[in-house]
Amino acid sequence: MWLPFVFLIIGVILGLLTDLRVPDAYTDYLTIAVLAAFDTLLGGIRAQLEKKFDDIVFLTGFFTNVSLAALLAFLGVQLGIDLYLAAVFAFGVRLFQNIAIIRRHLITQTINSRKLKKNPEK
Amino acid sequence: MIFLSKRTKWLMSLIFALVGFMLAIQFQTASSEPELRDTRDQWEIRQALQEQQKLQQELLEQIAQADRTLEEYGEVSDAEKLETLKSSIHQLEQEAGLAELEGSGVIITLAPIFQEWEEGAPAYPTVSPSLLTHLINELNTFGAAGIGVGEERFISISPVRNVNGETYINNRPMPPLPITIKAITSNPKKMMDYVNASRSRDMFALDQIAMEVEAEQHIELPGYEDNLQIDVLELDSSKETGED
Repeated sequence: MWLPFVFLIIGVILGLLTDLRVPDAYTDYLTIAVLAAFDTLLGGIRAQLEKKFDDIVFLTGFFTNVSLAALLAFLGVQLGIDLYLAAVFAFGVRLFQNIAIIRRHLITQTINSRKLKKNPEK
Repeated sequence: MIFLSKRTKWLMSLIFALVGFMLAIQFQTASSEPELRDTRDQWEIRQALQEQQKLQQELLEQIAQADRTLEEYGEVSDAEKLETLKSSIHQLEQEAGLAELEGSGVIITLAPIFQEWEEGAPAYPTVSPSLLTHLINELNTFGAAGIGVGEERFISISPVRNVNGETYINNRPMPPLPITIKAITSNPKKMMDYVNASRSRDMFALDQIAMEVEAEQHIELPGYEDNLQIDVLELDSSKETGED
């Protein structure tokens, strides 16, 4: 469980150390890619809690989500419509949903384990 | 999550690392502001230092003066207190332009260059408000301690307006040309050179007005006659430009 977070921190440190900056014109893409990545990660955690996790689905989901979001943003720029807002909205809603589901799962898990502790003979 | 296979664990970790990387870049991009660098060279820094030193000296002088005034207030006799108070009021009035002001300065005479005949009637040049404002701004930039336009004292809140085609100063119409503009300064010769070299001369010439500048050792400015309406004034801490 801790390994992914160690890597998350490693990634952050790497990103900060490289001193890389995205040009202003591409910030929208990055914003949306970060959102998509978050969404996929939370989706993965949720699938894990629901015991439906599949690494192929997760992996492809991650990359397709990120690239699709960027594509949507690109299309929006070309058409002069702020389409990336649609992606932000969709991802935002899903983010909250996933967080809510994860929370519920965690709550039921802790309640169950407490019950088990109270009457272990069951 | 304990039952993650090893491969999945590493996969997840890599993806997390990627997300972290993206996050960091996003953070950096969002928080990156154009770096403010000090690109001044030695001379410019020295100049800035000098300016600050001058400012400091001015402030110190002001403090010393205020201290003196305070000391005089502290003197025992009531008569002296009153005298000090009167002199402070007079000084303040002079600074605000309410009192008459004497000193060396320049006299600018504006006169029509020639009278042009337009369909039989002589066209007489007039000073437009914008032109007058420009000249007064220039005089202030050159360090005028007080400015008088005709018989009007021009102070910092004096309006210059166009009313029905006529130029009004202090809400009174400006007399027709020729007219004299007086500016008091400690160095009239320099001010004269400044005015002579300024663009105002050309701009007045475009309106067919000739500008003549003389340096005088003694000129008098009338005081500002109206009430000061300073209810809406606020303290401005920006530095004054000009010579003194």
